[in-house]
Amino acid sequence: MTIRHHPDDSMLIAFAAGTLDLGQHAAIATHLAACPRCRRLASAMEHVGGAVLENLPPAPMAGNALERVMARLPEIDRAAEREPSPEMAAAEIPGLPKFIRKYPIGEWQWVAPRVHLRRITLPEPSRTRVFLLRSGPGTKMLQHSHTGIEMTCVLSGAFKHEGGHFGPGDFDLGDATVDHQPMVDDGEDCVCLVAMQGDLRLNGILGRVMQPFVRL
Amino acid sequence: MRTEDDTSSDRTGWDRLIVAIATRQDREAFKRLFEYFGPRVKTYMRRSGATEASAEELAQDAMLTVWRKAALFDPASAGASAWIFTIARNLRIDAVRRERRDGSALAAPAEAEFQIDESPQPDSSLAATQSDKLVRAAIAELSADQMRVIELSFFEEKAHAEIAKILDIPLGTVKSRLRLAMNRLRNLLGEPS
Repeated sequence: MTIRHHPDDSMLIAFAAGTLDLGQHAAIATHLAACPRCRRLASAMEHVGGAVLENLPPAPMAGNALERVMARLPEIDRAAEREPSPEMAAAEIPGLPKFIRKYPIGEWQWVAPRVHLRRITLPEPSRTRVFLLRSGPGTKMLQHSHTGIEMTCVLSGAFKHEGGHFGPGDFDLGDATVDHQPMVDDGEDCVCLVAMQGDLRLNGILGRVMQPFVRL
Repeated sequence: MRTEDDTSSDRTGWDRLIVAIATRQDREAFKRLFEYFGPRVKTYMRRSGATEASAEELAQDAMLTVWRKAALFDPASAGASAWIFTIARNLRIDAVRRERRDGSALAAPAEAEFQIDESPQPDSSLAATQSDKLVRAAIAELSADQMRVIELSFFEEKAHAEIAKILDIPLGTVKSRLRLAMNRLRNLLGEPS
């Protein structure tokens, strides 16, 4: 699997800094699960975080802070060495990071001909909606643009649009400046994790007719 | 109160302190880590938007977590400050969420969201994917200006435009510095940019 499309640097920094909202965090994490290169960079960013922390000016702590914490020191938590994590539901969707597989995922719903989605319910409020989108082979999506940021990570299959060809692990970013018409490759379904803020804007006559019916 | 092996204020020294906590519950080692990192974690919390009282509490919690999880620390991969940074970051995310929920319990701690282990080469955490030494060497190669731009990107919602204002440089310069810094890191880590 050769990954050609990556999130940009500022997103990887924001991921490691922990400043992304959960929906976008999930999209970047899905890419990281497939991409050793970005994982290395995100990991380097955690080290940068360490360097940042080391060099921050100290803020005076409460006079009794150390005593209070020392008083709370429990016996070392051996259980922490191997934290048992409850077995997740068998993942029918390969490529999703473990924490996302623990979220409630809805049934496939029809969106448009040959296009289905499964909503993923995030445990925290997020400005970003997250869902899996499955499009049949050869599906030509309607020409569209976005009112907010849309992150897409391919889990299986592939699609292409003006920005290139996107296969498993590839990451695509759409925003108000991007107006594109993705086309799914022949041969197999394309399944993506999509993290979307705002809405799709369908363009062209057909799109304007369809718009009221399309609600992702 | 400096002892000889702290004069270098060295990193391997901090690593050893954490290992001392893990292996023999060394309270003196904990005290020294607390004295250095506690006040800096507090600044990190303040700059990330926490109130004075909440930053104090989070800094204490972070240091308590250092004690509790010391056995999970792997000096070969993480490095004390990177490890403590991730602890502080995760606690901060949890605190913000708890506040939004009016104090009701979290569904799950944020920690799991940074464990990306579904890869061909499994790793228990992001920080474990890179040898600390290599990354440190790479970071040390960055210019002060490049480091500063990355550093500001670490605090909540600092848009590039805001960073430009803080550093009093044009927006284009922020972007190019960040790009150069990241390309540099990528090269140093052996990646084609």
